[in-house]
Amino acid sequence: KIEKAKPIKCGTFGATSLQQRYLATGDFGGNLNVWNLEAPEIPVYSVKGHKEIINSIDGVGGLGIGEGAPEIVTGSRDGTVKVWDPRQKDTPVANMEPVQGESKRDCWTVAFGNAYNQEERVVCAGYDNGDIKLFDLKTMTLRWETNIKNGVCSVEFDRKDINMNKLVATSLEGKFHVFDMRTQHPTKGFSSVSEKVQKSTIWQVRHLPQNRDIFMTSGGAGSLHLWKYEYPAQRSKKDSEGAEMGVAGSVSLLQNVTLSTQPISSLDWSPDKKGLCVCGAFDQTVRVLIVTKLNKV
Amino acid sequence: GTTKTYQIPIGHLDYKFIEKCTDVKHLEKILRVLRSGEEGYYPELTLCCEKRIEHLDPGSRALRKDKPAATASDFTAEEWKTISGELMSWVTEMNEDDKKPQFLTTETLHERQDNLPPIRCSSSCLPANQNKKLQNKKRNKKNIPRDYSEWDKFDVEKECSKIDEGCEENNSKGRFFSRPSLPIIEKKIDTTGMTVKEKIFIATREKEKGNEAFAIGDYLEAVTYYSRSISVIPTAAAYNNKAQAEIKLQDWDNALQDCEKVLDMEPGNVKALMRRATVHNQLQNYQAAIEDLTKVLCVEPENAIAKKNLLEIEKKLKGLKPASESQGKGKRILIQDIEDAEGDEERRENREEHDRTSGDKKKKPQKHLSDHEGEVNGYLCSDQKSESPEAEICRSHGAGSQSAGGGSSTSLPPAAAKLKSEGNELFKSGQFGEAVLKYSEAIEYVSGLGEQSPDDLSILYSNRAACYLKEGNCSDCIQDCNRALELQPFSLKPLLRRAMANESMERYRQAYIDYKTVLQIDSSIQAANDSANRITKTLIDQDGPSWREKLPRIPVVPVAAQLHRWDGGNCASENKPRSEEAEEKFKMLKNEGNVFVKKGKYEEAVNKYSECMKLNTKECTIYTNRALCYLKLYKYEEAKQDCDHVLQIEDSNIKAFYRRALAYKGLQNYQASVDDFNRVLLIDPNVLEAKRELEEVTQLLNLDSSAAAGGQEKQRKKITIQEVSESDEEERQFATSEDVTDHVTSKEAVEKCVPLQTSGKLHISEPSNAYEFGQIINAVNTNKDKAACADLLTITDPQKLPVLLSNKLEGEILLIFIQSLEYYVLGKDPGLVYQHLFYLSKAERFKVVLALLTKNEKEQVQQLFDLLTENQSDQYSLEDLESLKKVYEL
Repeated sequence: KIEKAKPIKCGTFGATSLQQRYLATGDFGGNLNVWNLEAPEIPVYSVKGHKEIINSIDGVGGLGIGEGAPEIVTGSRDGTVKVWDPRQKDTPVANMEPVQGESKRDCWTVAFGNAYNQEERVVCAGYDNGDIKLFDLKTMTLRWETNIKNGVCSVEFDRKDINMNKLVATSLEGKFHVFDMRTQHPTKGFSSVSEKVQKSTIWQVRHLPQNRDIFMTSGGAGSLHLWKYEYPAQRSKKDSEGAEMGVAGSVSLLQNVTLSTQPISSLDWSPDKKGLCVCGAFDQTVRVLIVTKLNKV
Repeated sequence: GTTKTYQIPIGHLDYKFIEKCTDVKHLEKILRVLRSGEEGYYPELTLCCEKRIEHLDPGSRALRKDKPAATASDFTAEEWKTISGELMSWVTEMNEDDKKPQFLTTETLHERQDNLPPIRCSSSCLPANQNKKLQNKKRNKKNIPRDYSEWDKFDVEKECSKIDEGCEENNSKGRFFSRPSLPIIEKKIDTTGMTVKEKIFIATREKEKGNEAFAIGDYLEAVTYYSRSISVIPTAAAYNNKAQAEIKLQDWDNALQDCEKVLDMEPGNVKALMRRATVHNQLQNYQAAIEDLTKVLCVEPENAIAKKNLLEIEKKLKGLKPASESQGKGKRILIQDIEDAEGDEERRENREEHDRTSGDKKKKPQKHLSDHEGEVNGYLCSDQKSESPEAEICRSHGAGSQSAGGGSSTSLPPAAAKLKSEGNELFKSGQFGEAVLKYSEAIEYVSGLGEQSPDDLSILYSNRAACYLKEGNCSDCIQDCNRALELQPFSLKPLLRRAMANESMERYRQAYIDYKTVLQIDSSIQAANDSANRITKTLIDQDGPSWREKLPRIPVVPVAAQLHRWDGGNCASENKPRSEEAEEKFKMLKNEGNVFVKKGKYEEAVNKYSECMKLNTKECTIYTNRALCYLKLYKYEEAKQDCDHVLQIEDSNIKAFYRRALAYKGLQNYQASVDDFNRVLLIDPNVLEAKRELEEVTQLLNLDSSAAAGGQEKQRKKITIQEVSESDEEERQFATSEDVTDHVTSKEAVEKCVPLQTSGKLHISEPSNAYEFGQIINAVNTNKDKAACADLLTITDPQKLPVLLSNKLEGEILLIFIQSLEYYVLGKDPGLVYQHLFYLSKAERFKVVLALLTKNEKEQVQQLFDLLTENQSDQYSLEDLESLKKVYEL
């Protein structure tokens, strides 16, 4: 057990090698720290990255997932999203923030994706006003943005290390959206399907590491839902102007359980054991679950 | 009273109401009320309501219930044991791994970090001039964080990454570059400094990615990921999956290699054996395919797919032998050889060309013509997987002897000519990869000479394109076709090949354009016709009715190209000996006949076939085909005679027996029919249709014939399907070969469907309910077959029309009714037309549909009324007509 002065909000192993296993954390003071858990006294990397709390963190390029450099992205209440390379001290390698004067939105969630070769990489960020923005780190452009009306609690690509395939975004009001990220229409963007789960917030979504088309959402009412995405027969079609347009598939509920009366705020799958997952809830409990028969879906 | 929430009448909370209610939304509300308990607690009623909703809408959200997590008590002891057992073993496994010493030394760590790409924005590997810019930018960034809009402007990074990409391009495989749209994914993973555990993890992960890509049909991507997995740790499973993906891509050579690697690792791997058999079958190594399948059956004697494939391949092998013997019988070989025979046709072409260097170029287009005919058939052939190398060889003998007198030098320089003929040989033996090499050499040689003749080069490109097409390398095929077309615009073969390649790459628009161009040059190419139609359907599905607007412009073929062709044709046929001319004509007539059959115009087909017979009385297929038409026309006696004739010439013609059996059945001579079916089954016990028919006829024989009519009617429809598809391609056996899982098969299926629909509508029986009527109408409407529609209207009682139409009346349907009434029914029975119009106006939605008619369409209605006025009948008066006109708002 290690105690630190500032409360920690989020953490990830995503940018470290399988051997090193350094933990990257974001805390309430806006600091990004990378810890060697074998010697946790002093962080191996530390930066005061944001003015306010870091809400969300994600890593890529480590753990054998994602080609290219290891990078960490942080999203903060100060409205900025910053990408860090643990090899570069003090300054982010990329920084995305609103225009001066434009109201700053609270960034609630960030995720890496599209890291299928050494250059390609995108960051997706979700904001409290329902904005979802997709930044392309290769071309350094804002590639796409949309609004899903309610605050975006969690976004995740089905796999970080493939040519962008699907993105799931969950919202404050109990809905989640699945975007087909293969085909981007010049004006309409990506097509999506949405599903209403319940009245309460969907706090988090996590895809099964062994099968990208199965994902679990954790809900405000203390429940978990297991979903499967089914692709349409044709994933893209031509619109009236001949531009390619994606076609969204459908989602079906495989299973649901209610574990607690309190919201389940975080959730993750085991990369090694298919179906093993862990979730943390507001009732101060961490629960470990096993989902069986996943290979039959 | 009503409930508090939703204000549902209390009476609705009742078993009877719930069981009858079909409004899911309403039921969901009731369920919510029941569950809330505000009106009291009724567990059984709630259950009943849930069941009802489930029955109506199994996916309803209201059915979702909160469930607690399952615990040990929710499982049977056994299940729980397996679950916990698996978990425990996994835990111990992980613990053991943790205890193992870490392999990694600092050195390897450094090594690995050296391999990492540079830090984003870092200037480590960039030229100096950009360095400055970058540093500026960096400074900027420190002070002023960039806002979103700036993100769009920023381009330094883009340039950096462009440079990176340049490096990348040099390393990665060339294959991806022909398809710039595809993302570049490295095919190998750098594994320096990885522990075994890591490698296993990564290999598994890459394989899983491959599986996922495979599952949604991204076969190229799947192959890449499997290769990546293999580059980390080669496993049999990854090779095996890769082979399957390559089979899907029709990349036979690589699939074969991969299967063999699996079998090196695991000699008895059933899946790999099955896959290798498929590949062998495709590469026409039937013997090898049979061996593989036998091995499979040794391991798994009950493997149904293996059995089926084995039978099919054996049949193919058998089918080849007689074909090669019966060289003289013309048609058989003609259809089979083709695809690959083009190689020697082209060689012949060259020779002839050389013979006529003096200037008689007119011969050439004709050659093209006969040549592409071959190809067309070959196309059908290859689609349906009945290529036969042996038949083809005998054809090449024929070609050889034909051209023997014509001198053997070619216009190509000798070295290139040799390469080309070697390429042709390789192509014929199915070694497309090697053929490509030969052709490429020849191309290089010829273009290196400088004094190239565009014609020869075009042919070489075209040949190489054929190889690529065979290999499934569509993009290269298209490139070569483009080159060939640059050299010789509007030549048929490259156009056709490009069309096929485009089609298989699902670029339907380009394919459509190419097929249309081909048809402009020569409208008699059946394959182009078929494909164009097929693509039209796909495009309509894709883009809706306005699909045409999205097409690129179809190039107009200069009249010269067409005329040239015709001139050439005439001229050549004059030069030709009479017999050859007759053969040509014979073929043409026969093809026309086949086309009519496919369109369901049996009478016309009979005429064509009869003309054929004047030219050649020995050709059995003509008789069997005509017999088929007679069967369709219910002229059983004539059908029987044709079959008899065939059987005199060829006493074991299975088709003749089969059709005669059907004819006997139609003539209600059941005993003879049974005999003939038995003979069919004696020749080939696998003809399922014959078995089915036999059973039925035996039943008919046993029963008395009174009740038979209905069944017969039904049965006839079934036959229609199989027979017509079969007649597309005379050489096919009765049993339709279904190759396990191949997308070619699905294409084939599509092709089959088309004749199915067209022929189905010809047998219009009186619809007994709205559903049947709707089915027929849909069929009629999609084909715009006014004659069939008229038939339908003739046999339908006008009074029933509103009932039969129910609420399905639409503008299109109304229009086709009007047109068919005008063109077909009016002349025979104006009274009926009036009746129909009268009752049509009583149909549901009539007013709506009428209001939506365009001006043009209204004119058509007006026209029909005018004609009705002219054709007076005692069944209606002018006043009646006038009042009806008012109903029609005229």
